[in-house]
Formats: sequence, C-alpha cells, structure tokens
Amino acid sequence: MLGRFRYGYVAPAALLVAVLLYAPFVWTAYLSLTRYDGLEPPVWAGLANFAKLFDDAALLTSTRNTLIWVIGTMVLPVGLGLLVAVLSYDIRGGAWFRVPFMLPYALSGAGLAMVWSPVLSHDGIANVLLGVDTAFLQEAPANTFAMLAVWTWQQLGVNCLLFVVGLQSIPREPIEAARLDGASGWRLFRHVIWPLMRPLTAVVVGLALVSSLKTFDIVWVLTQGGPGRNSETLAVTMYKETFVASDYGYGSAVAVLLTVVTGLASYLYLRRQVTAT
Amino acid sequence: MIRRAVLVLLGLVWLGPTYLLLVNAARPASGYDPASAWIPSGDFALLENFGRAVEGANLGGSLASTALYSVVSPLLGVLIGALAGYVIVVLRLRHGFWWFLLIFGGTVFPSQMLLVPLFVGYSDAGLYDSRLGLILIYTAINVPLAAFVLRNFYSGIAFSIFEAARMDGASTFRVFWRIYLPMSLPALAAVFILEFTFIWNDLIFGLTLTQTEDVRPVMTAIAGLMTDVYAGTPVPVGLAAGLVVSLPTVVLFLATQRLFARGLSLGSVQ
Repeated sequence: MLGRFRYGYVAPAALLVAVLLYAPFVWTAYLSLTRYDGLEPPVWAGLANFAKLFDDAALLTSTRNTLIWVIGTMVLPVGLGLLVAVLSYDIRGGAWFRVPFMLPYALSGAGLAMVWSPVLSHDGIANVLLGVDTAFLQEAPANTFAMLAVWTWQQLGVNCLLFVVGLQSIPREPIEAARLDGASGWRLFRHVIWPLMRPLTAVVVGLALVSSLKTFDIVWVLTQGGPGRNSETLAVTMYKETFVASDYGYGSAVAVLLTVVTGLASYLYLRRQVTAT
Repeated sequence: MIRRAVLVLLGLVWLGPTYLLLVNAARPASGYDPASAWIPSGDFALLENFGRAVEGANLGGSLASTALYSVVSPLLGVLIGALAGYVIVVLRLRHGFWWFLLIFGGTVFPSQMLLVPLFVGYSDAGLYDSRLGLILIYTAINVPLAAFVLRNFYSGIAFSIFEAARMDGASTFRVFWRIYLPMSLPALAAVFILEFTFIWNDLIFGLTLTQTEDVRPVMTAIAGLMTDVYAGTPVPVGLAAGLVVSLPTVVLFLATQRLFARGLSLGSVQ
C-alpha cells in the first residue's frame, strides 16, 4: 500500500532512541573497559576499572549509603505510607487526615532540598528550635538518615495515596466474610487484606526499589556527597568520578555497576513476584 | 479512636515543616531569625522574595528555557511516539513488534549510562550548552513511553475506521493527522503531563550538558543557588525560590487531573 514510505513514520522514533539512548549506552559500556580522561583518546584497560571497584574505600561507602537508601525507602516512605493508608482508608473523613501528608508532595526536585537546607544546616532552624547542637549533615551515616527523613516527609503522601486507591478497590465480600468469622485488627489485615492488595504493593515496592537505587538529586543538592565523600550514593559517585575527577573510564565502570545492580534487583524482585502469585 | 489519634499525631509531625516553610518563605528577607522561625511575621513577601532570587541568581532566562524544554520536548515526543504507534498498529508495519521493542527498550537505561557519551558527543557536535541539545535528549527520553501508551491506545480503535477513511480517499498521513491524532488526545495529554513533570524537575542532564545561566534548566540553577544559602542568600529568599519553582508541575497536575486519569486508563486497559 505504501511500500518503503511507511518507514518514514517509525524512523524519527527509532533514530532518536538509537542515537541518543542505545549508542551512548553501548559507548559507556565500552568506556568502562578503558582509561579515558575525555581529552586523549580512550586506551584499552581490560577489567582494570572493575578491579579498582573492589579496592576503593569511597565506593564501599557509597554502596553502604545506597543500601541504606534502598532499605530506608522500603521501611519509611513505603511502609509508613501503607500504615497511614490502612489507618485512614475506611474511616469517615479519611481524606482529610491524609492532607498533611500530601502537601509536601507539591515540592519537587531541587526545590525540596532547597527548603530543607536552612532547617538542617549548622545554625539552622532544627538545632535552634530543638535546643540542640547536632550536625545533621556532617557525620556518616547519620547524614544519610537525615536526608532519608526529608525524603520520607515528601514521598509518604504519594505512596499512601497509591495504597488507598488499592485498598478501596479490593472486593468487600472476603473482608465481610472474615469479619463474620471473627477476624479483626491485625489478623484481618495480615490474612485477608494484605493478600488481596498484593498486586498493587508489588508495583509500589518495585518502583521504589528502582528509584532508590538511583538516588541522586536530594543528595547532590543537600550535601554534594560530602563532607569528604561520606554521604555519596552510587549515582553521586558516578557523577563525581566522571565530571569532578575526570576519570571517565572509572566513572563509566561505576555506571555499569549501578546498571547491573539495578537490573539484577529488578529481575530477582520480578521473579519473586511471579512465583509468589 | 486509636487510629485517629495516631493519624493526627503523625499529621502534626508532617505539618510542622510545612508550616515553617510557608511562614518563612513569606517573611521579609531581612526579618529571618532561626530562633523565632515559628512565629509568623504578618507580612506576605513570598513574591518579593522570589523576585529577589530571580534577580540575584539571574533565574529569568533559566525559567524561560525550562518552560521551552518542558513544553517543546514532550510535544515532539508524543507526536513522534504517536507516529510510531500508528505505523506499527494501524499500518501494520512488518516486524512491527520488534520495532516496538526496539523503541520501548530505550526506557531501561539509567541516565548514568548516558552521561559520558552525551557530554563528549555534544561537545564534539557543538550541542554542549545549547537549547537544541537539551531539547533533543529530553525528546528522546520521552519517545519510548509515548510509543508505548499510543500503541496501546491505537490497538483499541476499530480498524474499520481506518478502512472507511481510506475508502473516502484520505491519504494515510491525513488519516493519522485528522482522525487518529485527535482521537488520542487524552492519552497524548497524560503522557505530556508526565514528561513535562520529568523535564521540569530534571537535575542531572542540566548539570552535565549545560553551563551558561540562560541555557541551564531551573532545577540545576536552583541547586547552584543552594551553596549560596550559606554564602549569604537570605533564607526566606531561598525558601521562596524552592517553593515557587515547584508550583508549575502542581498547577498543571491539578488542572488536568481528570484528563490525566482518563488518558492513562484508556492507554492501559485496551
């Protein structure tokens, strides 16, 4: 009907994706096997960058911090979000109880870190109001926990909202039946409600898993990974090794590591979800 | 009763920082003192503070550029994605599914895997620190999602519509432009909103690919302002800046909530 002409419709999409996403991806994978400073052409270095990964104290710190971010995100914004959702979804005026948690979601990106900086800084509001003298953003790993608290403040609302939507869409009958059988409180939740909302939980947790592994913005704006390098995450380390230390080869290796970890975590998570249902 | 008590208690903890933020962002820049941060000043200097931030950090050009990126790139992205979805589903492109996989596969790459080659490549091609360069990468990032949603949307439309239009003598492109594109408006809008938000909030591409104040996206510019919070930007000015630059995404989302929900459900169910 149109012959070759129809490739004109798919060409813009395919070209953009191939040139700006696939090619850089492959190129980074190649660069991770080279020594490269961005000025001289890359020199083949085999697995030297990856060997260095295992021998780098800063990378160990950022791996630990990334792990804190992943586990902390599961417990705080996601876990507390579930708690608030379960407490409020079926009471009168429940939506009003959730308003305080939704307000912070209006802040976005760097704006969030921007407003917390004067609170957490050394002579900041938190110290003065609480009458203490805590260096919230100085000591590791306390500074990562402080940033996690900020993250929780902002993210709880949206997680909670997703859970509420899920809770309100599960069928009434099994819950009524369990109530008649005498189940209530924790047992009702654990054995009836929780299994019913499982598909939704899988999505919320999966999204949180992937995004927490790539935590960058909030750390970059609040501490730039410091002081020293003690609050870096893997994504921050990648950026600093590359664009601050100009070690493009090593930075690429960190990017590959991050990609492999993210891919592996998603794969294991998805497999567990599939076998469990 | 216990449930309400827990909710109220947690809610108060959450409201504390929100209150501090609002009160102090509206405080005249000179009247800030951490010790009395919780007492409202009685003035409303939010816009004045924001004005000072815009002036002091030269955010004007940056805001205009960010608006350009956040509108143009998603528009191009949804259009290009819709074209791909149309040719794959409606024109039944040969090996269409593989083309789709190729395009959709673009979503899996973490941005960290793209930064070095984009930085080096853009420098060589003269795209570094240019608006065109940012529009290109933002558009490319939008395309996979747009193609995904629009492909789903078009598979839900009866093929007889296409046949009837062709029978009446419309060219395949005309059928796309006059029939399929308008029909998919809710889906296009949903993707547009998601992508607008993503681009407006982007920090890392702006950080890597730009340098001058006028080209830098606003979140990157704000992040630069941050280090100045210690170096003398008055706290109310910083707070007002953080608050106001967050507003466009909120306003867009609230204004289009219905359309957004409708577009997404149309895109996923069919």
